[in-house]
Amino acid sequence: MIAAAWVVFLKELRDALRDRRTLTMVLISSVAIGPLVLVVISQLVASIEKRNEAREVYAVGIEYVPGLKNFLERQTFTVKAAPADWEQRLRDSKLGYPVVVVPADYAAAAARGEVPVVELVSSATDQRAEGGSGAVMRLLRAYNQEQASLRLAMRGVAPMALETLRVDERDLADPASRAAQLAFMVPFFVLMAVLYGALNAALDTTAGERERGSLEPLLMNPASRLALVLGKWGAVATVGMLIAVLSCLSFLPAQLLLRSEALSAMFRFGPGEAVWFIALLLPLAGALAAMLMAIAIRCKTFKEAQANATVLVLVISMLPLVLVLNQDGAAPWHLWVPALAQTTLMGRVLKGEVPPMADLLPPVLVCAVLTVVAVLYVSRVLRSAALK
Amino acid sequence: MIQIEQLRKRFTQGSGRQKRTVQAVDGVDFLATNGRITGLLGPNGAGKTTTLRIAAALIEPDSGHVRVDGIDVAKQPSAALARMGVLSDARGLYPRLTARENIVYYGRLHGMTAAAAAARADVLAKTLDMQALLDRRTEGFSQGERMKTALARALVHNPPNIVLDEPTNGLDVLATRALRDTLRRLRDDEGKCIVFSTHIMQEVERLCDHVVVVAQGRTVAAGTVAELSAATQQTDFEETFVKLAFPATFSSGVPAAGATA
Repeated sequence: MIAAAWVVFLKELRDALRDRRTLTMVLISSVAIGPLVLVVISQLVASIEKRNEAREVYAVGIEYVPGLKNFLERQTFTVKAAPADWEQRLRDSKLGYPVVVVPADYAAAAARGEVPVVELVSSATDQRAEGGSGAVMRLLRAYNQEQASLRLAMRGVAPMALETLRVDERDLADPASRAAQLAFMVPFFVLMAVLYGALNAALDTTAGERERGSLEPLLMNPASRLALVLGKWGAVATVGMLIAVLSCLSFLPAQLLLRSEALSAMFRFGPGEAVWFIALLLPLAGALAAMLMAIAIRCKTFKEAQANATVLVLVISMLPLVLVLNQDGAAPWHLWVPALAQTTLMGRVLKGEVPPMADLLPPVLVCAVLTVVAVLYVSRVLRSAALK
Repeated sequence: MIQIEQLRKRFTQGSGRQKRTVQAVDGVDFLATNGRITGLLGPNGAGKTTTLRIAAALIEPDSGHVRVDGIDVAKQPSAALARMGVLSDARGLYPRLTARENIVYYGRLHGMTAAAAAARADVLAKTLDMQALLDRRTEGFSQGERMKTALARALVHNPPNIVLDEPTNGLDVLATRALRDTLRRLRDDEGKCIVFSTHIMQEVERLCDHVVVVAQGRTVAAGTVAELSAATQQTDFEETFVKLAFPATFSSGVPAAGATA
């Protein structure tokens, strides 16, 4: 039986690798896209970092409040004049920072004892300006606080009287945690690579074989059905793994292109991590191959199988999202769900952790059971599938 | 030698209220001996394909037996298939493989070494006059080229018994003649037992040494073309066939169907 399975395996592998057009599409969609997205996001993060480092405030009419300008400069900010068409550029989401607008009658209003109004203008459509307006708002409040304290001090009131508590803000969304968010993408893309790599081969060896009318003659060979299915399954899983390996390797050079220094410091994906990823994905590739075949063997045509497989593809691609949506963090049951378990473990590997054996066992076990059940199912329905 | 005894097979279609059963094979019975081409002649839906599928171990019969060189197909399907080359109604090839690779694949599945299977592919290519096709991918092959490749694939392990299900379907005149020549050569030179199903009279007349007429799932007559014509007192074989296969629609006074079976 082993010999027959091996013959089938070699033939199916050769057949799948000759399907150049499909392979090219899979390579483009699952191997190239991941690193590309990584590089694009790193550029975005780099630009945010650059802006944070710049410490600039853009203003119109700052000359009417010399005190504010002085205050900002004391906070080591540079005050810059906003460009003439700043309003239009904010609307078009092109400016990238909020603008402080000081009215010309600021000094006069203050002298009359009125409260002059300073505008902080940003636009909800300009994400970057909106993001930066919080920091500028805090600067303006601090200036207000300082002025008020000075006035109280002049009247002999301790500024402490107005201060019942002090708030210290710390932003935890530093580049490190952004890198963690980014790193989450890598397992996701690698997982998709396994799925899309296995998809076409799985459908071709089952529904495709039915559609071509080559399944019936195949079953007239003395080889046992289980041997035929095992050979096919091995080839499908191998193609899936091959694409996954390529996808893993493609992230290695992509790192060199990372623009953000903080990111590239945080994003550790070396050959060691790649090997871990491949080892973690191996059982999943087997299970996915078997499940896709089990779905497709029931379908008369490749097209029908594609439509049916969409359900599995969708579920597998949605499962890792549980990690993003679930606010409670990692739960023990995550390790018992295929795809989710692999994503969780790959995430932990990326954080530099070596998952203990106890955490590796559940996903391997689940995948093994799924594989055995699906392979046996395919070999059971193979004959009736050939005749319909 | 292929021996088919009182084969019966009932299919159930649909489920629930729409459930209905079809008695596809209801007592097919014949013997195909070595060195002879046995024709399984019957109208569409007579049960020819089901009978041949049972012979190829694809379907299990409800009752009856198929023996290939004495081996019961239902009990030892692998051993029986090793002694049989089957060209079924479905002759899908792998389009991304060459004709040779298609043939060698089946040889390997029959337990041949790669070298032996490749050598056999060359021999068969000569027999079937398809050397020029051997190293081309089968994508884009014509019907005749496909049939030759599928036949070579079925014969790769040099089986003593050959079963062909409507092999001339979709073939043009030249391809049909070439196939007939091949089958005659296999019979005369190698003494193969050949069973071949068809619904075309001319083919039976030109090729078959022994004819088994199947209608409504059962064997209604068997013998040489001459014997069957004599029994029905007809000179035209088509008339003979219609009389044997559809006795009810024909005038009365004809010898009872199955008289010669």
